[in-house]
Amino acid sequence: MNVLGERDDVLLRRAAKGDEAAFTDLYRRHQASLYRYALRMTGNPWAAEEIVQDVFMTLIRQPKKYDAEKGEVGAFLFGITRNRVLKHLERSPRELSLDQELESGSARPPVDLLTPAFWAERRERAEHVRDAVLALPLEFREAIVLCELEELSYEEAAKKSGCPVGTIRSRLHRGRALLMARLELLRDVPRRASAGD
Amino acid sequence: MKCEEFQSIGLDAGTGRISAADESAAAEHAAACSRCAALAESWEAARAELSLFADATRQAQAPPRVQMRLLQELRSQKRPHQLYRRTGIIAAWGLAAAASVVAVVSWQNWRNHSAHPAIGTSIPAVTNVVPMPSSSDAVLVADEDTGAFTPLPGALPLSSDDGAVYEVRMQRASLGALGLPVNEDGASDWISVDVLVADDGTPQGVRLHEDAALSLPAQ
Repeated sequence: MNVLGERDDVLLRRAAKGDEAAFTDLYRRHQASLYRYALRMTGNPWAAEEIVQDVFMTLIRQPKKYDAEKGEVGAFLFGITRNRVLKHLERSPRELSLDQELESGSARPPVDLLTPAFWAERRERAEHVRDAVLALPLEFREAIVLCELEELSYEEAAKKSGCPVGTIRSRLHRGRALLMARLELLRDVPRRASAGD
Repeated sequence: MKCEEFQSIGLDAGTGRISAADESAAAEHAAACSRCAALAESWEAARAELSLFADATRQAQAPPRVQMRLLQELRSQKRPHQLYRRTGIIAAWGLAAAASVVAVVSWQNWRNHSAHPAIGTSIPAVTNVVPMPSSSDAVLVADEDTGAFTPLPGALPLSSDDGAVYEVRMQRASLGALGLPVNEDGASDWISVDVLVADDGTPQGVRLHEDAALSLPAQ
């Protein structure tokens, strides 16, 4: 059955009746953004995988939970993902690193002919940033993830977070300040260490 | 633009989130304010590092095994659904068939009932109820000899004009159920009887055909 170009809610109705092609298309449309959000928020690929799976399991088992009048399927899925992420972070506030994901093929930047030293340094810096982002308080972290990493507008980020635009701006402002301080600190640690040698 | 405004919106310069006027105002302020210029520089460095992190996770997506597990779940959800549906269809057809049978049987019973009205439940072993023929010489119609009817116990006096007369075949013992005395010697004999039935269907009197009773063989 051809499902290309179908609206999400149509696909969801078909998927609820057991249409695998419709479900697959719906899954492929949304899984990556949900996974990225979960990964950037938790810093743990295993947790992100579990969260995405859980979200779509909910869609399979309780498709009637989706109410078209309340918004689009994408927003509905993001809402479930966000709840799962928050629950996960409540259970384990500080997660493991993203090492595995950063080393995996799917997350690696395009390979070119730059030197291994360049890639090593780049990965180290990315790890610093990741640590700095994961060290942020949850609401600031979410603002940074949505506005700086996902590059959403303030309005979109506010909608996804379920708060006013002003709140997002405020959180982003404070998040940036904390992030800059943290990155400065992380940049200084190697310098201080090398200076002490 | 003041420092507070710059800290609020100036860091969004170059992202497309602020207007061109705000961008130029922020640039002017940064040129004049070394503190805000340092802040902007620090944020640019942080943003560059953030982009590394963003790049590292930009292509990230759930592993294929997640999709496989979900499709497996979808299939397992689908199977009971189909089973319930099939069972429901079979049950519905079964119910419809049963209802049809009941309707046909009920209709036939009603039809038989209306063609041969009951002469009272108190008359057992009546095997052959024959409605009175239209010909006047058949079955010894009561109006020719009303006095020959033996009123049943408890029955009100009734003329044959007020009721219907049916000729029935029964065993003599069945007369006992109507409240009449029966000779035990011929209790199993088959006899022909005219039954006078009131409009409400209750038997009011009987008249025996002595000759018929004699000629009928016992079955």
